Amino acid sequence: MNNLSLTIGWLYPDLMSTYGDNGNILSLQKRLEWRKINATISPLSIGSKPQDLLSCDLIFMGGAQDKQQTIVSNDFKNGKAETLSEMIENNITGLYICGAYQFLGKYYKEADGTIIDGMGILDLYTENPGTKTPRLIGNVALQTTIFQKELIIVGFENHGGRTYLGEKVHALGNVIKGYGNNGKDGTEGAMYKNTIGSYMHGPLLPKNPQLTDYLLGKALETKYKEKIELSSLDDSIEERAHEVIVRKLRSGV
Amino acid sequence: MKNRILIHQGKLLSRVIKSANLGNGSTWPGHLALQFNKNFIKDILKNSKTIVIFVIGTNGKTTTTSLIAHILQQAGKKVIQNSSGANLLNGIASTLLLNTSESEQIAADYIIFEIDESTFPLACQEITPDVIIMLNLFRDQLDRYGEINTIALKWQEALAALPKDTQLILNADDPQIAYLGKKSPLNELYFGVDEKGRKTPLIDHASDSTYCPNCGEKLKYTKKYYSHLGVWSCPSCQLVRPTHVKTSSFFYPLDGMYNRYNTNAATLLCSSLGVPDEIVKNSLGSFKPVFGRQEKITFEGKNIEIILAKNPAGMDQSIEAIMEKNASNLLLLLNDRIADGHDVSWIWDIDIENLLTLPKITLSLSGDRAYDLALRFKYAEADLSTLTISDDLVTAIKGAVLATPQNETLYILATYTAMLDARKILTGKKIL
Repeated sequence: MNNLSLTIGWLYPDLMSTYGDNGNILSLQKRLEWRKINATISPLSIGSKPQDLLSCDLIFMGGAQDKQQTIVSNDFKNGKAETLSEMIENNITGLYICGAYQFLGKYYKEADGTIIDGMGILDLYTENPGTKTPRLIGNVALQTTIFQKELIIVGFENHGGRTYLGEKVHALGNVIKGYGNNGKDGTEGAMYKNTIGSYMHGPLLPKNPQLTDYLLGKALETKYKEKIELSSLDDSIEERAHEVIVRKLRSGV
Repeated sequence: MKNRILIHQGKLLSRVIKSANLGNGSTWPGHLALQFNKNFIKDILKNSKTIVIFVIGTNGKTTTTSLIAHILQQAGKKVIQNSSGANLLNGIASTLLLNTSESEQIAADYIIFEIDESTFPLACQEITPDVIIMLNLFRDQLDRYGEINTIALKWQEALAALPKDTQLILNADDPQIAYLGKKSPLNELYFGVDEKGRKTPLIDHASDSTYCPNCGEKLKYTKKYYSHLGVWSCPSCQLVRPTHVKTSSFFYPLDGMYNRYNTNAATLLCSSLGVPDEIVKNSLGSFKPVFGRQEKITFEGKNIEIILAKNPAGMDQSIEAIMEKNASNLLLLLNDRIADGHDVSWIWDIDIENLLTLPKITLSLSGDRAYDLALRFKYAEADLSTLTISDDLVTAIKGAVLATPQNETLYILATYTAMLDARKILTGKKIL
């Protein structure tokens, strides 16, 4: 099929972009372009409309500092939360990192006990056990089977909140090294339909090209209503960078 | 009596550490002194007439501290400063200890401390500074320092407890720093720069403080210099960049806009202390860069310049500085050890694409995370066949030096521990 294209909606690039999230966008964009698929990046920040969201085939949203997160939370109240919820239910592909991941859940309980409502789209909740409990920080590797074969995904996590998954979602994978969702149950991230939430930045996609291609494949499939085979790319540098982290974690550094 | 013994023992310990080549002895003596007397710093400074200057901020502390020290020394003053690796409380205590006589007299007119961002509030509890320079606040090692809003809040609380006659020297172009001035009852003087603004990127991501620190509204910029620095105002609560701002010095001894900020901060401070213009001007002319901060080294007959770049704002500014020089040979080094920060995701916030617009550039990549750098360049659409990648630092340096033509300069941009390692290879000397 010729003239394929995807519009990637980058939610709040100026506010929700704390940990090199630009790298996730570049991965999505370049891996389309290298396959001669047209990519449009649509930055959607404060004041954008629900219709702007609807024109996107793939959604990305990153993490933020608390202050920025409050600004975003207020902006979402203007009909955008409902629209995003419908899109996720309708299989629109998306990747949500850290703060955005927490945001998709039912609620976030802050360190001081204040409860902030989430969008309630994903069956999960997050609680911050208080400022005396250390943040979960470090390199992380997890094993996942979402690609029909066993695969190790690597990233870096840095979060105070502990996320617990409900029955309607399943984990992105099981932690081999690192903390994951809550440092207890061995899970990391969440999947629901074509939506992935995760604490992993690093950023996540550049060193995990299979995950990038998985998202792109799903987005194309939803848009064109048929399975579209992505041509293979030379991923030798991605593999080397991935390997460095796996080696580092195995040696316990 | 007790402090006298601590000073004596501390000096002894420092000599042992140095002569046994265990380090430069700039933190251990202070660490032990604080163990035996937690009021050691307070006690020493209690009856002193020495003027205490604090230099804080994410980027530029070491250079600014050295500029001030050099100018004051040229003005005939006796100056003490801590070394850059000693900017926590133990380093401060060590600096004091090593410069205090056993009769507990500090032998200096001025003492300049560059202080780590997260140590500043603690330092204010131990020491009452006479002057504080606040350079900037950028995201840096989020895994270690946390979010910049949190740091700004802690600074604000620390300032509120200081005597009213404390002098603040603040960056007017950094909204969060300027706001600290507006909120505090202390005396403020402002520095900034006056340059051509750069055009805002298509997607403005990863800026830290482009929202009003007072009311949260998006700030308007008539000029944007880099990251969130510029000529700003809030359209909602009317908070504006201060108007009386020192934006120039007689001469800039170092390249890059970030060093023009550092220089303006240093000269504003020295003028406010009464140093005559003529001395300030001449001192700038005779200033030599500190190790690893645009430090020039000759190695195997080639010119090399080492530039520390440890976070996105610093790296972007270093890239701009070498572009002003039309650099054509560049070695980038990325490590992920404790002093560098384990999280290297920040390299995706650098405008590396900017480098690729240089007409001729030979690029080499190395360090613990050389392949992360390589990936960054791949996704910036660099021509990979022209990149040299090696995770062995000695091989990388030798290769890059060899590839540099005789009359050109090899620029080495490196994170902290990579800078120290590279320097050691190039000079044969260990510094810390």
